[in-house]
Amino acid sequence: MNPAIRQTVALARRSINSTFRFPQAWFPSLFFPLVLMAIFTASFGRSVSFIPGFPHVDGFLSFAVTGAIVQGVLISAVGAGAFFAGDIEGGFFDRLASSPASRSAILVSRLCASVVLAAGQATFFLLIAVIFGATVQGGVVGALIVIVLAALLAIPIGGLGVLLALRTGSAEAVQGMFPLFFALMFFSSTFFPRETMTGWFKIVADINPISHLVEGMRVQVIHGVDWQAAGTSLAIILVLGVLTVGGSAINLRRRLEGDS
Amino acid sequence: MTDAIVVEGLVREFKGGILAVDGIDLHVRAGEVYGFLGPNGAGKSTTVRMLTTLLRPTGGRATVAGFDVVHDAASVRRAIGVALQDAAIDPFMTGRELLRLQAVLHAIPRQEGHARAEELLERVGLTDAADRRVGTYSGGMRRRLDLALALVHEPVVLFLDEPTTGLDPTSRVALWEEVRRLNRESGTTVFLTTQYLEEADQLAGRVGIIDGGKIVAEGTPTELKTSVGDPTLMITPADPSRVGDTAEVLAQFGPAADGKPGAVAVRLAAGAEGIVQVVRALDEADIATAAIDLHQPTLDDVFVIKTGHRLEGDASAAPGSGRRRGRGSKVGR
Repeated sequence: MNPAIRQTVALARRSINSTFRFPQAWFPSLFFPLVLMAIFTASFGRSVSFIPGFPHVDGFLSFAVTGAIVQGVLISAVGAGAFFAGDIEGGFFDRLASSPASRSAILVSRLCASVVLAAGQATFFLLIAVIFGATVQGGVVGALIVIVLAALLAIPIGGLGVLLALRTGSAEAVQGMFPLFFALMFFSSTFFPRETMTGWFKIVADINPISHLVEGMRVQVIHGVDWQAAGTSLAIILVLGVLTVGGSAINLRRRLEGDS
Repeated sequence: MTDAIVVEGLVREFKGGILAVDGIDLHVRAGEVYGFLGPNGAGKSTTVRMLTTLLRPTGGRATVAGFDVVHDAASVRRAIGVALQDAAIDPFMTGRELLRLQAVLHAIPRQEGHARAEELLERVGLTDAADRRVGTYSGGMRRRLDLALALVHEPVVLFLDEPTTGLDPTSRVALWEEVRRLNRESGTTVFLTTQYLEEADQLAGRVGIIDGGKIVAEGTPTELKTSVGDPTLMITPADPSRVGDTAEVLAQFGPAADGKPGAVAVRLAAGAEGIVQVVRALDEADIATAAIDLHQPTLDDVFVIKTGHRLEGDASAAPGSGRRRGRGSKVGR
């Protein structure tokens, strides 16, 4: 096997293993979205059909599950950034940098690990939702689209986490960015449809790319397979990915040259 | 290749004009253990980071194993083993996993990497702890693992940045033994930084003393010690009233030195061998002695004379400092 690919696989495996061995790293990304999903579902249940403008759904859970997935991916991507920053702080990064390992393997392996973890998370949330009575209108194909999009979403979000890690070199600083991510999610249609929003809140949610991203995933669950919507989500992921992964690569190079 | 490390006018300036390394020159011969001695903040780690390609020099040049650290960094990385300060290891991985991963980073074939991991675990005495997470290891075990990790690819030059800082005396001696063995059996060149005088004295064939980003002295421990002067002999006469007579006798052997009250000290111009004549002269003058202390100059003395201050951290943390006085060997009573 090509050494760079072998190094990427080995380092990605190491990131996944170490994440699982540190419950604080994965537990919040599963627990908090589940709690939020449970609370919203218990509060609104089937009454959403009486809310003016709310899209037709067979229950709030079907509506909420994609929001939970995106939230979970966001939380674990912040975790990935903090993990990467921990490697810088603890010196593991220096171990990689002083070895002849491929430079791109350092970045790509971290993103690969996030992709695998996100796919697992999305599958987990969908399963839970289905067990508790949600229906995926898009069927197996719809579910697969959601899982693939969630996995790919880990690239731009993970890239942002790594970018912050490379710039600050501090796990705490990366974790400190978490409320910002959360705000970005709340001012979007992650938890409620834009149709129910009014005023400035709606304007913010309308321009927030997260809204369109989540909607492209959600429609697969509440209406059925929609390739055009999936394409919109994919385009948003690609644009964000180019920005954050590109930024990470530039900052990685800068740090490897010891200029930061 | 006769020089494993060549450094010429190496400079590292940080933002704000801070000169961490201020134009140093070094030649480390292949197969040598070179001790880089200096207090915290002297520029030791900055130098190591530049030599291990982790930091770009802002001036001068350096080659390691014949490769330029800036223009041929990839070749340098293949040739070196690095154990940096604080044993940089992922606490959630096991010792065996880390060794295997390190082998992958060096593109060692799978089978060979696994065999090498087992061999190194055995060598540093971690076979029993191999499947435990590194987070549960003691400080000494982490350092031993760190050393093993640096050896996975059988490097030509090994960099050890303060390998024993924070270790208990037993672990420290064990690590020293391992470094000596490595140098003896594999001929690996070792570049070792330390803030412990005893460590440099024990391990290094040659020592460079760095202070304030500049090398202030360099040589074998013996050369350095000899350079600061002759050994000091201190005689305590059994009869305190004969201090004056003792001083008179001793005056012919060299200039007077500072001694304890009730004792007379002299710098032995003839070196330690001169002690026989001194004892004979005292006997002829009929002066009975309560104690005879011979104090050989230590690297500590070298450090004080070359830099004008003592080595920070050494007095409090190193077991060596306690033994410093003891090394001036006592001869008779």
